[in-house]
Amino acid sequence: MIEIGLGHYLSLASIIFAIGIIGIFLNRKNVIIILMSIELILLAVNINLVSFSIYLQDLVGQVFTMFILTVAAAEAAVGLAIIVIYYKNRGSINVEQISSLKG
Amino acid sequence: MEYAIVFLPLLGSFISGFFGKKLGDKYCQILTSLLVSISGILSLFIFYKVLAQDYSTSKLIFNWINSGNLQVNWSIVIDPLTAVMLVVVSLISSIIHFYSIGYMSHDPHKARFMAYLSLFTFAMLTLVTADNFLQLFFGWEGVGLCSYLLIGFWYKKPSANAAAIKAFIVNRVGDFGFAIGIFLIFFFYGTVNYDEVFQQTPLFIQKQVIFLGIEVNLITLICLLLFLGAMGKSAQIFLHTWLPDAMEGPTPVSALIHAATMVTAGIFLVVKCSPLFEYSQTALNVITIVGMMTAFFAATVALVQNDIKKIVAYSTCSQLGYMFFAAGVGAYHVAIFHLFTHAFFKALLFLGSGCVIHSFNDEQDIRSMGGVWKKIPYTYALMVIGTLALTGFPFLSGYYSKDAIIEFAYLKGSSIGYCASAIGIFTALLTAVYSWRLIFKTFHGKYNNKENNLNSIQESPLTMLIPSFLLAIGAIITGILFKEIFIGHNSQFWNNSILFLYSIQHDHPPIWLLVITPLIVILVIPIAYYLFVKNEKILKNLILKHQKVYDFLVNKWYFDDLYNFIFVEPIKKIGLFFWKKGDINTIDRYGPDGLSKLVKIFSNKAVNFQSGYLYHYAFVMLIGFSILLTYLILY
Amino acid sequence: MLAHSLFFYFFSTIAVFSAVMVTISRNTVYSVFFLILVFVSVSILFIMIGAEFLGIIMLIVYVGAVAVLFLFVVMMLNVKEQITKRTSRKGFINNVSVGLVVGTIIFLELLVVIGGWKYKGNFVPLSEINFNLDLSNAHALGNVIYTDYIHLFQIAGMILLVSMIGAITLTFSRKENVKRQNYFSQIEREKASAISLVEVESGKGVKLDD
Repeated sequence: MIEIGLGHYLSLASIIFAIGIIGIFLNRKNVIIILMSIELILLAVNINLVSFSIYLQDLVGQVFTMFILTVAAAEAAVGLAIIVIYYKNRGSINVEQISSLKG
Repeated sequence: MEYAIVFLPLLGSFISGFFGKKLGDKYCQILTSLLVSISGILSLFIFYKVLAQDYSTSKLIFNWINSGNLQVNWSIVIDPLTAVMLVVVSLISSIIHFYSIGYMSHDPHKARFMAYLSLFTFAMLTLVTADNFLQLFFGWEGVGLCSYLLIGFWYKKPSANAAAIKAFIVNRVGDFGFAIGIFLIFFFYGTVNYDEVFQQTPLFIQKQVIFLGIEVNLITLICLLLFLGAMGKSAQIFLHTWLPDAMEGPTPVSALIHAATMVTAGIFLVVKCSPLFEYSQTALNVITIVGMMTAFFAATVALVQNDIKKIVAYSTCSQLGYMFFAAGVGAYHVAIFHLFTHAFFKALLFLGSGCVIHSFNDEQDIRSMGGVWKKIPYTYALMVIGTLALTGFPFLSGYYSKDAIIEFAYLKGSSIGYCASAIGIFTALLTAVYSWRLIFKTFHGKYNNKENNLNSIQESPLTMLIPSFLLAIGAIITGILFKEIFIGHNSQFWNNSILFLYSIQHDHPPIWLLVITPLIVILVIPIAYYLFVKNEKILKNLILKHQKVYDFLVNKWYFDDLYNFIFVEPIKKIGLFFWKKGDINTIDRYGPDGLSKLVKIFSNKAVNFQSGYLYHYAFVMLIGFSILLTYLILY
Repeated sequence: MLAHSLFFYFFSTIAVFSAVMVTISRNTVYSVFFLILVFVSVSILFIMIGAEFLGIIMLIVYVGAVAVLFLFVVMMLNVKEQITKRTSRKGFINNVSVGLVVGTIIFLELLVVIGGWKYKGNFVPLSEINFNLDLSNAHALGNVIYTDYIHLFQIAGMILLVSMIGAITLTFSRKENVKRQNYFSQIEREKASAISLVEVESGKGVKLDD
């Protein structure tokens, strides 16, 4: 336990991954929480990649992490734009009111 | 020619039944009547041949069943008994066809009626020309079916439908016994053809079988079961309840089926199987007793009936009882002779009643008639002739046949014979009383009809009168003409179509027996006139004094109520129970209804999957993903 | 080593705790704050582990841009503090417990995967690129990105461009009744159509055609 190895980082990553996934469907509040949970998932993946990269002395992990970072930012921007438009059309972003796919 | 006799009516029925609409009513009626008349004339011709030339034949139509031991053919057999029946059936049927043209002139369904009549004729002809029990049974069921169709002809009336079902079901009870009899015959004899059965019968005289735990003689058992069928078809006591209700059908139907032909199928069966019945004294005794009881019972009930057709119906029942007890004392030829004459005068009585009903505009209650004998003289004359023949007035046909029955019963010598002849004489008295009651109440006395004006009572059209006239001729002359041939002492007419095991007594009965019946019959006429026309109060007082007896008679000895209580209500309850609980609650609930409900429930639950909420979808995806992961990890 | 593990546990605890608070916090702004805390603690972990370029970049990009974007949107949409109604079923099996169970299952499976990998044997490195050349992380990354992975780099740039255009297209709306400047028509005004010289008589004035 004292010696921090690869496994610890990987466990941390998987914990955050699980929390992110739970957060997607356990929230009853609004859609922004969903987007934040997605960011958490991506973060967990980042931790995974970086820790592997460090421990294997291989740089590819960090390169890939950079690109994931880029994509995460882009996706957050577009997602938030969609939320804004949705709010303009519907007046609320309460998750429980978004059910027009019902049936 | 024999083929023509049997199949022409079928052809007429087929054409009228299926192409009636295209051909139009008039052509249908004429066509079917003509075809049946041709059949009648041909059967007269055959009868002459049998009479003069001892003609008998058996024509094979085709081989019906050929399976293992069972060989059954469809064929037409002509022998003396069959020839007589052919004449009766086809002649009366053709006369009725012509009569119906006039009687049913106001009915919209003439073609269907004619088709049914011809179909019935075909079935009856098949019955009498059979050479094995199976074809007989086919004809038996066929006439039962046509009786159902014709009784319920006016199917919009619920009482007609009920009466038709009643007839069919009561017949069914008889047919059940009949079928078991045929099964027994096949089981023990190995065949159902008449010739082989009758030849082998002497071998089985001593054979005993265990039936329902009781040991009985085989022949007796078979005969009793066959007689059960005859009881159903010929409306003997206990299975008679359908006959009065069958008057719901049109009058030609009553005349044809319930006077002349279908109800005589029972007699025909017993006489045809005389080689069987002769070997079982027990069965013959049973037949005699049942015949006697029926004759007496029906006559007593007919005394108090008020519907003109019902009186004649009970009269038929009573006369059939006569025929049966004639067969029971071994005088089969007398039974057939009485059948022959009875067909004519009973059909005449029915047709005359039809004319009366027609004249009174569909009024059937004799209490609402009276005093019209001058207005409708031809109908009156026909009815009087029929009544005279029925009661056994000397020198008309009924006299010869009915008195012959009483004589032969007396001559048999056993106690049952004496009893039978005594009851026969008493019933003849009752017959005379109720027959003349009918005539006097209908044609004499005060005019009681409230709805029709006396002036509007008119004679029936010629199409109805002429057939009745022909029947009247038959009622008068058939007795004298055929007495020697049918029941004469030295007649060789029957040959071996009827088996007489014990030689017929040819002694002359005592004089008082010969005289008593005609005397009673003649004396009854003025007495009845006095009672029913001149001084009706005597009867009214009599009824008031013996109200219970009167009620007993009016309710037909409470047979209907008894059967209703014992059979009909419980069976209805059982049927209802099975329908409600068994069918609907069990089979339907777990079968189709249950399945459809289950599908609905599941689809209602499945709808929740598409809630429209994003996180539900994400959750489901997650679950699927975890399952996939588990699968990949474990394997 | 002790310091290393102490730091690790401290910051990872903060990260996990904040992640949980992101999802269950009532106020949405608090959720965003906790998200920022997660990012910060994870970037500290990155720096600690030796990938300092990535740590700082995460700080700049994630916290400085993405989280701020979240904050902007949250404030703009006026998300009210919500009292979560008890809409879930009462009793033992409600959605929270089922979700937790499923989440735990996923977590355990991930651990199984990791365990299976970790105790496998020797690892095969994926590519030939080793760092450990006593270069700084930024230098090492720069050596690789602009040479071997240049295509990915360009595509990443295009992704950013596309997302920017997408966001603008989604949310840009021109108000119809607001007066604006139309630059193009301003520039292409011609003298002939814009000015006209008129002789004015004294005392009379000019009629302007409006």
